[in-house]
Amino acid sequence: MAAEAKPLPGSVVRGAEEEDLRAEHLMLDPRPREEMNQMVMEAMTKTTPAFWIAISVLGLVVLVCLFGVWIYQALTGMGVAGVRRPVFWGIYIATFVFWIGISHAGTFVSAILRVFKAEFRRPFTRAAELMTTFGLAAGALYPLIHLGRVWVFYWMVPYPNSRWLWPNFRSALVWDFLAITTYLISSTIYLYLPLIPDLAMARDHSTGLRQRIYRILALGWRGTEAEWFRLRTAITIFAFAIIPVMFSVHTIVSWDFAVGVVAMWHSTIFGPYFIIGAILSGVSAVVMILFVLRATMLHMKYFLRPEVFDSLGKLVLIFSMAWTYFFINDYLLTYYGGDAAERQVLLEHATGPGAWVWYLMLICNIVIPWLTLWNRRIRRTPWMMFIITTLINVGMFAERYTIIPMTLGHQRIPFDWGTYVPRWPEISIVLGTFALFMFLYLAMTRLIPMVPVWEVQEGHMAHQLRKVGQTEIPSITELE
Amino acid sequence: MANGTVRLALFREDQLNQAAEAITRLHEMGIEDEDISVISGMALSERILGRPMSWSHVPLIAIAGAVAGFLIAFFLVFGTQYLYPIRVGAMPNTPVPTSLVVLFEITMLGMLVSTLLGVIAEMLTPSYGPAGYDPRISHGHIGVLYTSPTNLDNQVRSRLSELGAVIVERPEVKKLWP
Repeated sequence: MAAEAKPLPGSVVRGAEEEDLRAEHLMLDPRPREEMNQMVMEAMTKTTPAFWIAISVLGLVVLVCLFGVWIYQALTGMGVAGVRRPVFWGIYIATFVFWIGISHAGTFVSAILRVFKAEFRRPFTRAAELMTTFGLAAGALYPLIHLGRVWVFYWMVPYPNSRWLWPNFRSALVWDFLAITTYLISSTIYLYLPLIPDLAMARDHSTGLRQRIYRILALGWRGTEAEWFRLRTAITIFAFAIIPVMFSVHTIVSWDFAVGVVAMWHSTIFGPYFIIGAILSGVSAVVMILFVLRATMLHMKYFLRPEVFDSLGKLVLIFSMAWTYFFINDYLLTYYGGDAAERQVLLEHATGPGAWVWYLMLICNIVIPWLTLWNRRIRRTPWMMFIITTLINVGMFAERYTIIPMTLGHQRIPFDWGTYVPRWPEISIVLGTFALFMFLYLAMTRLIPMVPVWEVQEGHMAHQLRKVGQTEIPSITELE
Repeated sequence: MANGTVRLALFREDQLNQAAEAITRLHEMGIEDEDISVISGMALSERILGRPMSWSHVPLIAIAGAVAGFLIAFFLVFGTQYLYPIRVGAMPNTPVPTSLVVLFEITMLGMLVSTLLGVIAEMLTPSYGPAGYDPRISHGHIGVLYTSPTNLDNQVRSRLSELGAVIVERPEVKKLWP
C-alpha cells in the first residue's frame, strides 16, 4: 500500500505563502512518523525488474571486468598494464586517489554539517556516509591491484617472521595504509551508530530473515532515555573526532607524492590542495547519488527536495573556488620559481600529447561550475546538478591523472621521458571498481533505511513558522 | 520499587506536552524518577521532559581506548625499532616528527573503536528500572514506562488517561535481541 501525505494535526495551512514554504522546506512539512517510516520501508523493500536488471549487470561487470581481469593480471604479470619506465604509477594510483577523495564527502557532509548544525543535512547524511564506506572499499583495492603479486600482501603486516621483514613506520606508504584503515573502520562505525534507531524501526516493521538481521544489528534498541543519551554522546564524539581523521587521510595520501623529490610533487601545498579537491569531488558525488536516489527510489522526492541540491550546489561552487585558489598557488609559484624541470612539466601539461586532459580539468573544475552554479534556478534543478557534478568529477579524475602519470613522464632526466598510455586491463579494472561501488551502493539501498527518519523527525520538531511583522518566517529551536 | 506494577503510558507524537505533564503527575503521586523511564522514537533531551540527566561510561571508554591506541602506536614506532631496527639514510632510528602520524592515527582508531565497543557493551548489559517496549514507539509514540505501587495502580491510570494516554497493561519486552 502506498503511503499518503497527511499533515500532522495542528499544522493547518494558513495561506499560499505558508504553503510555498512547506513545499520548499522538508523541515516545515512534517508528516506523522508512522507515515515516514512506511515511506522509508517501502523505498527499501519495493523493487522493480529494472532494479534487478541493473544490479545483475553491475554484478556481472564486477565479476568480469574487476575480478576476472585482476586474476588475469596476477597470473600474467604486471607487464599487461601500461606502467613501465619512467611511469610506474599509472591509472591505478590516480583512481585510488580519486576514490579516497570521493570518500571524504560522506564525513564532510555528515560530521561537519552535524557539528555546525546545518539543518539541510538531515535527510541525506546516511546517503553520504554510505558513499564514504563504499568509496573507501573501492579505493582500498588499488594498493592490492597495484601490488602485482597480491598473494604476498601479508609480508607488509607487522609481525615477527622468519623473512626478517618489518614495515618501516617512517614511510609515507605505511602512514597511508594506517590512515585508510583508520578511516574505513571509523567511517563504517559512524555509518552504523545513527543507523541503530532506524534498524530498530525496520525490526518492528519487518518479518522473517530481514527481521532477524535487523534484530541483531539493532542491539535490542528500545529508545530509552539512557540509550538516546548514549547514542548522542557517541555520535558527538565521532562527529568531532572523525573530522581530523578525514583531514589526515587525504593529507597523507598527498604525502605519498609530496615526500618524494619528484618535480611538481615536492610541494608543501599538496596536503590542503588534495583535501580541497577531495571535498569538491566528494560533495559533487553526493549530489550525483542523491539525484539517482531521488529518481529511482520510492518517496525520495518528499525527503530530497530542491533545497538540498541548492545548498549542496553552493558548497560545490565554494569548493570549486577554493580548489582554483590552491591550483593557482601551486601553479604560479612553481612557474615563478623557474626550476627547469618543473617548468618542463608545466609545459608538458599544457602543450604535450596529454594536454587535453589538463584543459579538461580546468574546464570541468573551474569554467563549468563558475558559469552555472551562481544561478539559483540551475542549483535547484536536480538533473542539471547531476550533469554539472558529473562533469566536475570527470575534471577531478583528470586532475589526478595530470598529477600522477602525466607528471612522472617528464622528470629531471630528459633521456628518460616517456608517455604513459593505460592498457585495456587497467581500464577494465578501473571500470570494474566503478561498477563495484554502484553494485554495493545499490544493494545497500535495499538493506538499510536510506533516510535517518529519527533525525528528520527531530528536525520537524525543531522547526516552526514564526510570525515576524507581516510575514511568517522559518525558525529553528535548539532542542539539545 | 521491587514489587510494583509496570505500566506503559503511550502518548501520540503530538502529545509531547501531555507526556511531560504525565511525568509531573507521577512525581506528585510519589513515584520516583528511578521508577520512571521514557521511551521515544527520537531523542528528547532530559530538560524537555523534566527528567534527571542520564549518565554514560562511553566517554570514559573512549578515552581509555585512545590511551590504549597511543601505547600500541608508541610501541610500534619506537619499541619495534629496537627489536627490528631499519636503517634509513639521513634519518634517526626513532624520529619524533615522522612518528606523529602513526601515533595520531592509531590513537584515533583506538578511541573510535572503543566508543563503539562502549555503546555495544552498555546496550547489552542489563539496566535497572522498569523494562518494557511497544512497537508503537517506533511509530513516533512517546512511552512513559513506570512502576507504581499496586494499590495506586487504578489512580495512576486514571490520572494519565485524563491526559490522553493509552495504558499498555503488559509492556513486556519481546525478544528484541537474540
